[in-house]
Amino acid sequence: MKHTKKISALLAGVFIGATAISVAQAEMKVPPLAPLGDPPIPLDNKQSEAKIKLGKMLFWDPRLGGDASTACVTCHEPDQGWGFADAFSRGYPGTVHWRNSQTVINSAYMAKLFWAGSASSLEKQAKSAATGAVAGNGESDVMEARLAFIPEYRKLFKEVFGTEWPLISDAWKAIASFERTLIVKDTPVDKYLAGDKKALTKQQVRGMELFNGKANCIACHNGELASDQKYYNLGVPRPERWEEDGLAQVTFRYEQYAKGVTQEMYRKIKDDPGFYYRSKEKSDMGKFRTAPLRYTKFTAPYMHNGAFWDLKEVVEFYNAGGGQNDFTDGTMAKNKTPLLKPLGLSEKEVGDLVAFLEGFSGEELRVEAPKLPAYAPLPNPATN
Amino acid sequence: MKGLSKKKSIATALFAGLIGTTALSGVVVAGENGHGPVKMIKVDAKKAALGKRLFFDKKLSGDSAISCASCHQPDKAFTDGLALSKAYPGSKGFRNTPTLMNTAVRENWFHDGRLGTNLNDVTREMITEDYIMNMDMRLMQERIKQDPVYVKMFKDAGYGEPSNGSVRKAIPEYLKTLTSRNAPFDAGKMSDAAKRGYGLFNGKAGCASCHSGENFTNYKAYNLGVPENPEIWSDPMRNMTYVAFGMFMGIENIMNIRRDVGAHIHRHKADGSEIGTFITPTLRELKHTGPYMHNGMFKSLFEVVSFYNQGGGEDKNKSSSIKPLGLSFGEQQDLVAFLESLSGDVLNTADHVWKDKIPDNYATIENWRNVKN
Repeated sequence: MKHTKKISALLAGVFIGATAISVAQAEMKVPPLAPLGDPPIPLDNKQSEAKIKLGKMLFWDPRLGGDASTACVTCHEPDQGWGFADAFSRGYPGTVHWRNSQTVINSAYMAKLFWAGSASSLEKQAKSAATGAVAGNGESDVMEARLAFIPEYRKLFKEVFGTEWPLISDAWKAIASFERTLIVKDTPVDKYLAGDKKALTKQQVRGMELFNGKANCIACHNGELASDQKYYNLGVPRPERWEEDGLAQVTFRYEQYAKGVTQEMYRKIKDDPGFYYRSKEKSDMGKFRTAPLRYTKFTAPYMHNGAFWDLKEVVEFYNAGGGQNDFTDGTMAKNKTPLLKPLGLSEKEVGDLVAFLEGFSGEELRVEAPKLPAYAPLPNPATN
Repeated sequence: MKGLSKKKSIATALFAGLIGTTALSGVVVAGENGHGPVKMIKVDAKKAALGKRLFFDKKLSGDSAISCASCHQPDKAFTDGLALSKAYPGSKGFRNTPTLMNTAVRENWFHDGRLGTNLNDVTREMITEDYIMNMDMRLMQERIKQDPVYVKMFKDAGYGEPSNGSVRKAIPEYLKTLTSRNAPFDAGKMSDAAKRGYGLFNGKAGCASCHSGENFTNYKAYNLGVPENPEIWSDPMRNMTYVAFGMFMGIENIMNIRRDVGAHIHRHKADGSEIGTFITPTLRELKHTGPYMHNGMFKSLFEVVSFYNQGGGEDKNKSSSIKPLGLSFGEQQDLVAFLESLSGDVLNTADHVWKDKIPDNYATIENWRNVKN
């Protein structure tokens, strides 16, 4: 965190009276956009064909959830950009979630998962989502026991992990392995950056120049992921749904209770303070991780709470210098990042920028849903 | 509770002596072996009313699909009429749903007696257990706070704001109202057959050595050799629910066990001698609570009595007190008649059932921005 703060402060300094953004960029040593390479594979969970196959089945299997109705795929649907096409994710039956479901595509590259980075690996993210009360609401013993009663899983887990009976922790590993195959690279932007100057249209090239220059998106959306994976408060507006929908109000309060805030905070908070839950520093209220820009053509709506329904709205939001929420206007804090200023982009420039952003998406990735194996009684007890 | 337990254990110790006496004298007097009406318990009406609404509210389960009353149905003396209970969606039960009648006077709860503290703990266990109601109580609290009827009821009951802790007090307050009433045995209106049966119960059949006290149980665990219910092992969803329970409770070799270990699950006696023991069930309200035994293996009371008459079933841990009884067909019928005389009113009126509709959606809190959470 200290690191983040130092950079923010530095950025703020550079921007006061800045005229030449490229100079600023050079001074900040922001990594330039780059073609996406291969995802990192953790040494303690190496890829194998059998593991990926198993992980894919488990990703689709609703028995890895409380009432056997909610699988990973329930909120990460391949035809909805491997996310969920509503402002808030679907949530467990009887609930609604409170944040936007993020795409699984290219999640393999992220150092931390979830909007405020609360999970440090895909393996941990899978468990957290499968067990959270407004997501999967599953319980480890029940889910592990269910796996044992599926003969095909017993065979596959044994083949992959060498265990007599499937372990739930291995299920998360297999799912993470499958997710590490959900990669979309070689997009027009990747090809262009790799030297194929015909990969982007003239309009998209103009958009890229704005991205790196006048609009200064590159300050945070940099490197091969187009994200610095740091946390900022942009003043994304609070969802109106919390004022209009009792079910969403229930979840909102539950999150305060479950994540652990002070009694005083629980009483008065009316928006999602994001990274604050992790640091408990007031100065972190309203901060969320810079979203990667890849695959965004397929992942509307956008932002941690799904505030914007198309990329043009997003760009216009930045063009206006961001927005206001309880953590920027002093209601709870005044944390808006100084990086955001009105950009003065013309209508045409906004269009150019949107066209460039679409160049990050490439082809939609669809896979065939796996056939899920059935339960069966256990074989006769082992005798010894 | 502690005072009550002490009194009962003293009473229990005396029974052994009494049985012999009764058998010899052959005189039938209602009220032997601690038997007698269960006393009504004074409750706080507002708290009990709140508990009643909670008991019938499906929002107290994780996916809002079931309430306490889904398995504990008033028309069946708060059981479900099934051999094995249904459990939370995605799981299936491996035991018979026990009655909640007179549950407030118990010394321990569940067929295996794994909780011996109070109904507050029992309520928590049932709401949060993954295969029962699978509810994160933090989410439950916020659901309840969203319902203006609850907000008022909690306040009127003196609990202040709705909270998990108060739910765990209000539901037990309601459970205290589920007391047996107007059973022929209690009202002194037994048939002649029932009276003869009661004599056998205290005498020749020896039932009273365990089925003692006002609730006709000594709350101790015994192995009777009740046959396993094969459905638990042939239906993967039942077996996996049992496995999940066993993994959580720390039962060794759980994947290879094809039997319900009963009270062993919390006693863990090293020699395994308590495997297959279950808490003596209450005999009150049996007319409404079949099928019988911890796994619902017997459909009728006559089957149950015949099972005892033959000296129970087969098991290496079988209690030495279970012996063939040598009862004639008529004597067995008399015993059944007595058992039926322990069943009273079905508590299915508004006094014990929340009859108003409980909304399954959530009212919006108006002016949300400006009211405290």
